[in-house]
Amino acid sequence: MAAPEPKDSTPAVICSHVDITYRVQGAKKMGPVADEDDESLFKNLFSRGRELATIQSVEAVKDVSFVAYHGESIGIIGRNGSGKSTLLRSIAGLIPPTRGRIWISGEPSLLGVNAVLMSKLSGERNIYIGGQALGLTRAQIKERFADIVDFSGIGDSVYRPMKTYSSGQAARLRFAISTAATPDILMIDEALATGDADFKERSSAKVAEIRQQASTVFLVSHSNSTIRELCSRVLWMEKGVLLADGPTEEVVAAYEATLPKKKPPAKPKPLPPAEA
Amino acid sequence: MTPGSPGDTPPPALSPQEAAALAKAHGLTPLGARPAFGDYVRSIWRRRSFLWTLSQAEAAEKNAEDRLGMLWTLLNPLLLVVSYFLIFGLLLDTKRGVTNFIAFLSIGVVVFGYSSAAITKGTKAIVGNMGLVRALRFPRALLPLSVTLTEFLMTLPAMAVLLVVMLITHEPLTWRWLLLPVALGIQTAILAGLVLMGARLVNVARDIGNLIPVVIRLLRYISGVFFSIDRYAEHHPTVQACLSLQPLALPMDLVRQCLMAEFPVKPLEWFVGLGWAVVLLGAGLWIFWRDEANYGRA
Repeated sequence: MAAPEPKDSTPAVICSHVDITYRVQGAKKMGPVADEDDESLFKNLFSRGRELATIQSVEAVKDVSFVAYHGESIGIIGRNGSGKSTLLRSIAGLIPPTRGRIWISGEPSLLGVNAVLMSKLSGERNIYIGGQALGLTRAQIKERFADIVDFSGIGDSVYRPMKTYSSGQAARLRFAISTAATPDILMIDEALATGDADFKERSSAKVAEIRQQASTVFLVSHSNSTIRELCSRVLWMEKGVLLADGPTEEVVAAYEATLPKKKPPAKPKPLPPAEA
Repeated sequence: MTPGSPGDTPPPALSPQEAAALAKAHGLTPLGARPAFGDYVRSIWRRRSFLWTLSQAEAAEKNAEDRLGMLWTLLNPLLLVVSYFLIFGLLLDTKRGVTNFIAFLSIGVVVFGYSSAAITKGTKAIVGNMGLVRALRFPRALLPLSVTLTEFLMTLPAMAVLLVVMLITHEPLTWRWLLLPVALGIQTAILAGLVLMGARLVNVARDIGNLIPVVIRLLRYISGVFFSIDRYAEHHPTVQACLSLQPLALPMDLVRQCLMAEFPVKPLEWFVGLGWAVVLLGAGLWIFWRDEANYGRA
């Protein structure tokens, strides 16, 4: 495993004191009809029953700082709702941070399991939309179309609407789209968990290839074995706070120690048999 | 090992100043910074083929919904013309002063229909496509612009029907028909500008999205879709000017001047239309760009 902070390397991502607060607009049950200002009166009149639309703030990411270097592959681990995906989207430039700043070198490309393209449209159209958004020209996409479809392994399904895809097929297509242009920073959000063993192998090879081109890879995953396999450094998020940042083995071991025990924390194996 | 024990704590964070210095030393670009306005407009221009891809995709998505698909883009305006003709032509008799009322009404319905669809859908371009906004990076103005372009594409079949209606109702085929693309260009620029402004507004205050259909309805009734503003307000020149020169009424007049013999070309109206197009599109781009760093914010 590589050292967490190769001092000779140049930074690819600098995250400085980043806070992300979601404003959640939603119903609150049986809210008191206390405020008599026009707005709440208006809302009362037009809300069904006694539900009041309220705005709540959720701090998804709190004061996260780190520096990522070229050629690093960084895993982000943590429980559900710990802010992993939000942080990743923020680095990808998709969700602006509420406070703090992020610098990046080059163009980020995020591949999320929830990256909804246009689900009513065929995979083919989505390849064009995704590819062009990543900065490829139509001609380049045309040229790489067969490769993209091959890599995703979805075959003729590419001409069906994406809503008819299985989650695995959709994730594979998204992976193929986001790696079609060699991104400066590749971010993978849980996408590898849904593929089959064969696809996992191909995607691992692709990730290694991208790292070799001095790009930086971020990987959010609940599969500690995937993290161990692909990452040299791990960020551990807990309730929006960056709890640990260090070499994969140390941090994953510490994280596993906090999980309810099913089996003793296994030593890393090259190819663990099953995923959680 | 307990969380936070020595060994796995993150290394001390750089101060904001140190981070900024490090970023500068290695030439990293800050995220979430708005590009300069000129660069922004140029980046939209560079992505114009993406705009085209998005619009085609949206049009295909809409047509995929219904069994009759594209046919609805013809049927809807036709049915609307028939029902308006029953109510305003026969029942309320608003055709005062218009000889070819069917042609007059058809132009109103189709041209205003384009405005209404573009504004209703375009103002939701950001909030309705949050998935796309949070999945891919591109100049966000492409979304409202692509909705406008989509609606334009979807109006084209109805435009073709309009020309057929003109011929059936004995409108002469003249050189003025050649002005039709200019009139539609002016209208599209006006709509793109309004849609850009509206998309930002609705993104900031979603509740406003509920008011848009009301405003459109109101405009439909005062913009001269089914009555001639000139002939209804001929004794009130100020009212007449305000009503007929406003950006949503004007395109209907321009199209009528292109296609109907009884409406002579008024150069003043074309210049005003051109003015609206330039001012509204420019202002729309600028207003939308001001918030560029914030679309997609939770």
